[in-house]
Amino acid sequence: MQNWDQLQKVLIIGSGPTEIGHETELDGATVQILTEFKKHGVRTLVIDNNPFSVALEEIQPTNMYVQAVTTANVRHILEKDQPDAILPTLGGLRGMRIAQELQENGDLGRYEVAVLGMPTSTLEQINNPAALNATLKEIHEPVIEAQVVQTEDEALGLVEAIGFPLIVKPVAPRVDTNRTICENVDDMLTALSQGFQQSRFDQCTLERSVVGYKEIEMVAIRDRVDTELLISGLENVDPIGIHSGDSIVLSPPQTLNDREYQDLRDATFRIATELNVVGILHVHFALNPANQHFYVTKVAPYFTRGVALAARTVGYPVAIVTGELLLGQRLVDVKLPSQYVKQTAIMEPMNDHISVRIPLWPFQEVPDADQHLDTAMKAVGSTVGIGRSVEEAMLKSVRSSQFSPRDVLPSVSNLTDGEMISQLIHPLANRILVLIEALRRGYSPAELSELTKIDPFYFVKLQHLLTIEKQIQENPLDVATLKRARYYGFGDGMIARIWQTDTAEIRRLSTEAAIQPTYKMIEPTAGEFPEDASGYYSTFEYENESQPLGDRTALVLGRGGNQLGPNSAAEYFTTEMLKQLKRAGYHTILMNTNPNAVGVAPEFSDKQYVDPIQLGDVLNVIHVEHPDIVIVPGNRHYLTRELKKRHLNLHVLPPDQETVDKLPKMATIGVSLFVHEQEKVAIGVMDLIAPGMTQNLAQITAFRMPAELPKATRLNLVEQAKKAVSERQVRGMVQVLFAPKNATSKQLVCVGTRPIRLTEMAFLSKVTGINWVRMLTRQHIETLDADELAAIKIDLNSKRVALMNAVFPFQQLHVLNRPGTTDQEVGATIAFGSSEALKLNNLSDTAELDRIINRTI
Amino acid sequence: MAKRYLILEDGSAYAGEGFGAGATTSGEVIFNLNLLGYQETITDQIYHNQIIIFAQPAIGNVGINHDSYESILPTAKGMVVRDLTNISTNRLSRLSLDEFLQQHNIPGISGIDTRHLIRKLRQAGPMKGSIVDVADAHAFDQLNATVLTNRQVDQVATPKPYPNPDTGKNVVVIDFGLKHGILRQLSERRCNVTVLPWTASAQDVLNLDPDGVLLSTGPGSPLDLGTGVLDMIREVQAEIPLFAIGLGHELFALANGAELTALPVEYHGSSHPIRRIITNDVIYATQGQGYAVLAKSIDRDRLITTYVDLIDGTVQGLRHRDFPAFSVQFFADGAPGPHESRDLFDEFMEAMTSREG
Repeated sequence: MQNWDQLQKVLIIGSGPTEIGHETELDGATVQILTEFKKHGVRTLVIDNNPFSVALEEIQPTNMYVQAVTTANVRHILEKDQPDAILPTLGGLRGMRIAQELQENGDLGRYEVAVLGMPTSTLEQINNPAALNATLKEIHEPVIEAQVVQTEDEALGLVEAIGFPLIVKPVAPRVDTNRTICENVDDMLTALSQGFQQSRFDQCTLERSVVGYKEIEMVAIRDRVDTELLISGLENVDPIGIHSGDSIVLSPPQTLNDREYQDLRDATFRIATELNVVGILHVHFALNPANQHFYVTKVAPYFTRGVALAARTVGYPVAIVTGELLLGQRLVDVKLPSQYVKQTAIMEPMNDHISVRIPLWPFQEVPDADQHLDTAMKAVGSTVGIGRSVEEAMLKSVRSSQFSPRDVLPSVSNLTDGEMISQLIHPLANRILVLIEALRRGYSPAELSELTKIDPFYFVKLQHLLTIEKQIQENPLDVATLKRARYYGFGDGMIARIWQTDTAEIRRLSTEAAIQPTYKMIEPTAGEFPEDASGYYSTFEYENESQPLGDRTALVLGRGGNQLGPNSAAEYFTTEMLKQLKRAGYHTILMNTNPNAVGVAPEFSDKQYVDPIQLGDVLNVIHVEHPDIVIVPGNRHYLTRELKKRHLNLHVLPPDQETVDKLPKMATIGVSLFVHEQEKVAIGVMDLIAPGMTQNLAQITAFRMPAELPKATRLNLVEQAKKAVSERQVRGMVQVLFAPKNATSKQLVCVGTRPIRLTEMAFLSKVTGINWVRMLTRQHIETLDADELAAIKIDLNSKRVALMNAVFPFQQLHVLNRPGTTDQEVGATIAFGSSEALKLNNLSDTAELDRIINRTI
Repeated sequence: MAKRYLILEDGSAYAGEGFGAGATTSGEVIFNLNLLGYQETITDQIYHNQIIIFAQPAIGNVGINHDSYESILPTAKGMVVRDLTNISTNRLSRLSLDEFLQQHNIPGISGIDTRHLIRKLRQAGPMKGSIVDVADAHAFDQLNATVLTNRQVDQVATPKPYPNPDTGKNVVVIDFGLKHGILRQLSERRCNVTVLPWTASAQDVLNLDPDGVLLSTGPGSPLDLGTGVLDMIREVQAEIPLFAIGLGHELFALANGAELTALPVEYHGSSHPIRRIITNDVIYATQGQGYAVLAKSIDRDRLITTYVDLIDGTVQGLRHRDFPAFSVQFFADGAPGPHESRDLFDEFMEAMTSREG
């Protein structure tokens, strides 16, 4: 983009539905970049079909294209709306591919559209690994190259240059085959003879194996005049061979020396310069721990999970700054919001805390998936723990993981030795628990490092935690022990379990002995400057930096890491709720551990605590802030029960699922109502669709509104629904369910009532244009006016039809594709159109549903 | 490990766990903000007589390894850290930080709220402190009675010349408390180096017929070194290409008529953007300074400002108008810290080469 001043209209290629590989972090970055663009008077269009997108709430309907994110649909917008530029870097790899296709087929030239973030030559290389490798070679960055061989002799000639271990892979295999790792010539010859047979062209590729190397990531930012700074390095605990999305990751790296770190920083900058990236660049490296040689394994000049982690944990406003750079600002000129020290954008971030990210896996909901961790990512979310020692950060992250719903770590002591060794070598999702168990059984850090290729440093740290655990076991109710335990990250729940007491007792002891948490600011200058950042984490030290926000505060507990089920919808819910609370004059405090959450951005709340959402930690925050109201998500029953005992002004939002009566087995129509005092607003009549199945309630994962029913029937159902809820004590958003009277009759009868699910709440908001999350929030904080509600007019017979369909992770997890349940949803897509365009001939035809919802406009 | 205390001149005491040597030491308390490189930092002689607080909370993770020394005999007075890992099982090292500090009689203290101390010192300015076993009135009396030497350079710089032979350019390095990174950069460029004591006269230097002269980094205030060294610089810069770093840069500025100012708080870190004025681009480098050249004192007929810190506005580089002589305040060798200013050594090589031509 040569002429920055002429940039008036930009199209952002959205990220589409949440799936394995990306969750809400792209949406979060989109919101922030949108805000920067708006500030500069740039009109911003967005194409996205994610019904849980917060970004779509932030823009005018005329700038919004709720369509499947495809090349054809983007092309259509270029033609119709004539933007000056497209921004592909918020759409993940798909965004990059679409931009490349538009470039190749001449659309960018035809409509005179520029690409923001990188030149088209870079776009092409990111989409063409061979071209990228060639470029990297030109600038002397080592890459792993695959060489094609046709004979054993050719292979033997290459052995010396490649070195063992190497990987043999058949070219265009006739059957689904694996790469074979070969340790010596014999291995290789065996693999080759098999590979030649399997290949359609009698060819194999040879490449160096870097399995077992350290995986290090670097996230950098660059402006158009080549100013570059490193935002953060990230160290994967697991070696190459396990996808970085499935590995525990630390920021900053802990086991590199300065020279190794600087070498990778240099390489990152050389790549950014060569590719002429404007904005962020995320590079993965494989580092040989023995000789410090490295290879570049992945180059991503777009927003990723790693970028989100770096931004969140370092406290550098990555998305805001990127927004400015994309509009042609230089890093030295970027002006930040007032909570940052003036020149934060141009200072290389330095941290005085350690962050540990641990993945969350979907195996509880999809038990038939292979739980081995390998090169394909399987995690659906993650949580982060921040502390002032590796132990503390590590333990906090584990305490926020799915292994510890009640703040007690499970043991895997029932494994046999054989099973344990096997799991050390071929790790499963509960890797961290197995590593701890191995240390308990007396394996040394050196032995375990040999088996797992994990740096011995981490075993030394885990061993230290076991020493402290032993001290806790041996010194019940001892104050000095309690102090040490809390200092290294042990939670009240864990300590209470070991001492066979309750958390109240632990808290009483702590108060008596003045063992109180101190909160430290998450800011990027390591204390050099008086930053006024809004993110905090707890530790047990001398100085507390967190002062209470004051009057009229609301503490919102987040959901923690993303998991299957309604989680990305929950993220939408939390963010919209925060916005409404702020609008209603509350000082808002969010507690969350999900580094990818939209709501943790400082834009949405006045203060954020990145601490485990466990009883003790929540009470600690309450002790500091004295919030007027505390809002707990509906899925935390134990926490809710315990907090209720403390006489807090507690709201469960969205409403607790426990309060629902017995539900019917099936339903085909849902009538959604908003009930406030005597007022019952009809939001809509929906078809409830269970793709590929009978109308089993758990399998209703698609929705169409308005339902395909005669107008009179719709109105009749609404009346019935209103009557049904009048008879009971309900308020807020409820759904009355209808089903045919029996197999032979088409007559619909009322079969039950339930609170509206999060996913449907987002759907209803998108369809009616009324933000129901905010309505619900206002109801709880008693700012909702019955007259205002009565004045709402919703067309229950709209000609515009909306369709929402859940997305499941089955294909990515390599399990049999099948109708999913609501617990297995990873995300969803939404489409609008005429009833003709969205007509479904056969409700159980999943392929048709898919095609219709992802259609080309 | 034993309970020990960090006590400060302002009367405050912080309890922690001792590591390294059990010695009681006093020094000036400063903080270092670098993310990595504790070994390079603790062995850098600019920290002579200082107790270093590390902002990075986890220290000791990679042990001590043979190619991260900035001097062989560290003379810092202590390390203050949040969390110590006493590891020697690292892939590159055999020695743990704890053992290393014991060998060199340097005490360390861990379990300290280092972030609090940094926030405090950033406000309060320079302060003396001690690492002691008991934080009683006696300890404070001792601390208050301590007079820190101003002869730091004398105490750390080499008293005798020594060579670092190679086959390339003939370079004389004047040692004020040299960090090894400088020698490494010259070795990489095949320079045949002779290190001279800082008391060397211009004649001593010129006798060796050098292609170039490098004034090294070092501890303390340049104002304590007398005027002899300034005469030497003035004489040498007129004859031979000269490159000065850190303390050397401060002396080069003094020798050419500029004045120095003491910073309210010493700065040790690598997060500040530094503008290279000639190209107008921004680089990062490790900085470690208690003094800065006073911008308005620079005689523009003699010196040109080449680098400036964009955060605090300090002069970070100078060039002589008439001679091939230039200097930088920051550590151009990295070690620890960013590498992007290493091209200054190439510039030095060019200055030596073009003079021949």
